[in-house]
Amino acid sequence: MTDLTREGIKATVGEEMVKVTVDGQEFEAPKGQMLIQAAQNHGTYIPRFCWHPRMRPVGMCRMCLVEMETPKGRVLITACTNPVADGMVIDTKSEVAKKAQEGVLEFLLINHPLDCPVCDRGGECPLQDHTIAYGPGESRFVEEKRHFEKPIKISDLVYLDRERCILCARCTRFSDEVSGDPLIEFLDRGNFTQINTFPDQPFASYFSGNTVQICPVGALTSKAYRFRARPWDLVSIESTCPHCTTGDRITVQASQNEVLRFLGVDAEATNWSWLSDKCRFGFEFIESPDRLTSPMIRQEDGSFTEATWTEALELVASRFTEIRDAGKGLAVLGGARGTNEDAYALAKFAREVLSTNNIDCQLDDGLDPQFLAATADRARISDLDSARTILVWGPDLKEEHPTLYLRVRHAVQEKGARLVLIHPWRNGLDDRATHKLTYRPGSGAALLTRLQSEEGEVATALAEGPLVALLGRTGYGEDGRLAEAVAAHVRSLGGKLLPLARRSNVYGALDMGLAPSLAPGRATTDNPGKNAAQILEGLAEGSILGLLMVGSDPVRDVPNGELARQALEQARFVVALDQFLTDSSRLADVVLPVEGFAEKEGSVTNVEGRVQKVNRVVPGPGQSRPDWSILDDLSDRMGRSINLVSAEAIAKEIATEVPAYVGVTWDMLDAEKDGVVVPLPEATQPLVYLPADTPGKSFSGELVLHYARTMFDDGVLMRHGPSLEHLAPGAVAILNFDDARRLGLSDGDQADIKTSQGSARLTVRIDPSMNHGLVYVPFNQPGIPSLGSDPVVTVTKA
Amino acid sequence: MSGLGAFLRGLRVTGKVMVNTVFGDGLVTTKYPQEFRQKPQRFHGRHVLNRYPDGMEKCIGCELCAGACPARCIYVRGRDNPSDEPVSPGERYGYVYEINMLRCIFCGLCVEACPTEAITMTHLFEISTANRRDAIYTRQELLMRPDGSVPHMFPDDPLAQLAELDTADGWLRATAPSGVAAYEGVQAWQGTPGPASWAPEPTQDERDA
Ligand code: SF4
Ligand code: SF4
Ligand code: SF4
Ligand code: FES
Repeated sequence: MTDLTREGIKATVGEEMVKVTVDGQEFEAPKGQMLIQAAQNHGTYIPRFCWHPRMRPVGMCRMCLVEMETPKGRVLITACTNPVADGMVIDTKSEVAKKAQEGVLEFLLINHPLDCPVCDRGGECPLQDHTIAYGPGESRFVEEKRHFEKPIKISDLVYLDRERCILCARCTRFSDEVSGDPLIEFLDRGNFTQINTFPDQPFASYFSGNTVQICPVGALTSKAYRFRARPWDLVSIESTCPHCTTGDRITVQASQNEVLRFLGVDAEATNWSWLSDKCRFGFEFIESPDRLTSPMIRQEDGSFTEATWTEALELVASRFTEIRDAGKGLAVLGGARGTNEDAYALAKFAREVLSTNNIDCQLDDGLDPQFLAATADRARISDLDSARTILVWGPDLKEEHPTLYLRVRHAVQEKGARLVLIHPWRNGLDDRATHKLTYRPGSGAALLTRLQSEEGEVATALAEGPLVALLGRTGYGEDGRLAEAVAAHVRSLGGKLLPLARRSNVYGALDMGLAPSLAPGRATTDNPGKNAAQILEGLAEGSILGLLMVGSDPVRDVPNGELARQALEQARFVVALDQFLTDSSRLADVVLPVEGFAEKEGSVTNVEGRVQKVNRVVPGPGQSRPDWSILDDLSDRMGRSINLVSAEAIAKEIATEVPAYVGVTWDMLDAEKDGVVVPLPEATQPLVYLPADTPGKSFSGELVLHYARTMFDDGVLMRHGPSLEHLAPGAVAILNFDDARRLGLSDGDQADIKTSQGSARLTVRIDPSMNHGLVYVPFNQPGIPSLGSDPVVTVTKA
Repeated sequence: MSGLGAFLRGLRVTGKVMVNTVFGDGLVTTKYPQEFRQKPQRFHGRHVLNRYPDGMEKCIGCELCAGACPARCIYVRGRDNPSDEPVSPGERYGYVYEINMLRCIFCGLCVEACPTEAITMTHLFEISTANRRDAIYTRQELLMRPDGSVPHMFPDDPLAQLAELDTADGWLRATAPSGVAAYEGVQAWQGTPGPASWAPEPTQDERDA
């Protein structure tokens, strides 16, 4: 069977070892470990359906029956629910055990349809494989099988075929224990037991795709992969997920040069085989027909015409050279979605060829780059599992950092950590929070002062270590400096920090120097340039003339989208390296097609500084090229060659030239599947940033805006994926009942939401859980202009 | 033995056949293509994709044939069966089906792998083409017409005996009775492409009655 664990779960149970004998082989296993796992770690595979190393055992399927010797004789036990004990003697292949296993399979097959040829699981199905390996070969059952309506759509992404279900409770346990939204359950009793969702609730979990991966039969299948291929025509290559900053390990599967599926890999350091639906189904953009395939030059009338690479590059080089040599400003935005190699090439290009320090890979939505890249006391994700207290004061992890959400959930639920959750509003982790504090954006500094001085419960909890804090901006009205002030407090308590930012490889890009204040390798620059907001302002007012956008879409992605639009319209010359025509690259003068995820090889760095490999699986579309080669070509034409020849050569250059990355080679990354955390012991990190306690600006108004991201939005990668494009929740303004009444609004009314930076007409929703004086609007929803990062807001009935 | 003796002995068989062919009735070659020879029933010729009597396609796009093919010459892609106008019974149908006849070794493993008896072989082997592209048979060439006749890429080809397209190879079912008494004498293959000529298995109710 396809076993999803790469090396089996590490023993998490106690230190004490006990002696066990399995099939005559004696070995030692940690006390408390389940027999099924202990046996597997020592080379004996016991068949199973319901057991999953990352979930609690249930003993539903009985497939793992083995014989154990007891003083009263030999008995059959389930290996997945019985922990190893000293002196245990087990026989997994005795006549009785075999007969039991055959019997279980014959029973399971009584109602299992003979659907294999049309079943997406066929060919990689544990039930098929176990039937061949442990089954009876023939069934005595000739009666009619159980029938249900063939696949029912239980969510926008998942289909359920109840006839195929073997009632193993993997899906129900996953959604209950792991993801915390129990939307799928057993119904009815006895022979009529079935899996289903609750009548009026679809299986609208952000993690629903995981149940498709762990279902041991084809009962749960996904819309995106349905009937697209069969397992035997897939090429599988391990890589790192291009969506979140956790660096989740995935297997990219492709057939006929088309990426068809992502599967989660059980990487101990990161995702434990889980993926959010955004990651799992966020592969469709790769094959989108809208991908750019040739360079394009904008004409007078705003339309684009295709050009040759030579034409396009000549034009870019001459215009950039002209602006540079005239001493007018040039700037670079983006680079956080590529590889470290591409980011390094871009940083080198910007500094050496464009002669500018106006570089930012964050789009005015993150934290101080030095804090993100080089903070002192940086935690690892695994520190969560040994933490006594976890502080989450930042974005809603469920929406923006799904893997961290699962890891924090696990730490609290299974490891007994205490969770202190500070957020303006409802949060995905609410049900697991030991202490939940809500506050209005703008009053965070006051809350922090209270925490610093007060003797209360929360302060006591924080004082009790080990403490791990996940810090970031709760929304775009929030000042990034608040997170730093919190970080300073956490450090004073002896805690560790994970400063949070989004966009897959933002940490790698910062490490390569794609920030106004950072040089490659976590070092400071002498004369810092402008950050994203300042660059956009500079472009809008004419102090910067030229802009290079690399895989960034400021118009939709910067909180103040209106400013970004003005900036791009005012700029004298804009070049975009992009996979798609986005709302921003549509305003560029030249658009150059680039290879994207799964089309190029390289390394990426995650939130804890872990460097991992991404691999090439399919060729890029049309004439697209990797970023580094375009930049290298441009640098030659601009007369200051940066001399790059291949991604691998860049990797070698990084491994020798970039301080914090010294010694990190691709060979090492290919060997260590979970990557390595930089800096390696032999490397030094020039900058160690001490978070400063400078509380950001405070503000207050009658109404304050909580403007934050949702997992699904109008981001460009989602817009071009048929499965995900409809999942954005849509723009609404959520208000408390009292505020709504005061403003004369009722549920479903249209209202004009206005800040100093933008306005939008939205539907009002009244939510009793909303704080007083707070309006929540989800960021970047389809067709809605952005509201900016000024949190003071007025709401008037339309 | 002298050299000449050995030489003549070696030619004995050749000489005998020559004499028989010229003077007797021991002819072992045929005047192809003026004359055609009756092929054995299990001859493996070009493929056909069958339909059920109601016109539905038998192929469900499962790719088992493609998986079984040792020459890797079959390319299949399945797709959701439109429920308002189903192409095949069931959830899925094969919307791309191609066989590269240049690579096919006519082993018949695809026929054995097929769970629905959708792909079978005929007796026609005259399928030479003037270019490589034409050797790739698509659904258009492979799929039986609704009336049960089988299309040919070059119907005017003087060599093609179109009637041979109506003769199926005698293929063995993958679930051959292998000596089970209950299957003694039960027909397991048929002589023409298309729907099976034997009755479907009885349902539970019919069996109980
Ligand atoms: S749907 Fe799949 S995972 Fe869920 S209980 Fe049934 S067999 Fe198990
Ligand atoms: S006859 Fe053999 S070689 Fe030809 S398509 Fe079928 S399986 Fe492939
Ligand atoms: S011909 Fe048969 S084996 Fe091949 S795809 Fe169609 S149904 Fe499957
Ligand atoms: S694996 Fe042990 S009962 Fe299912």
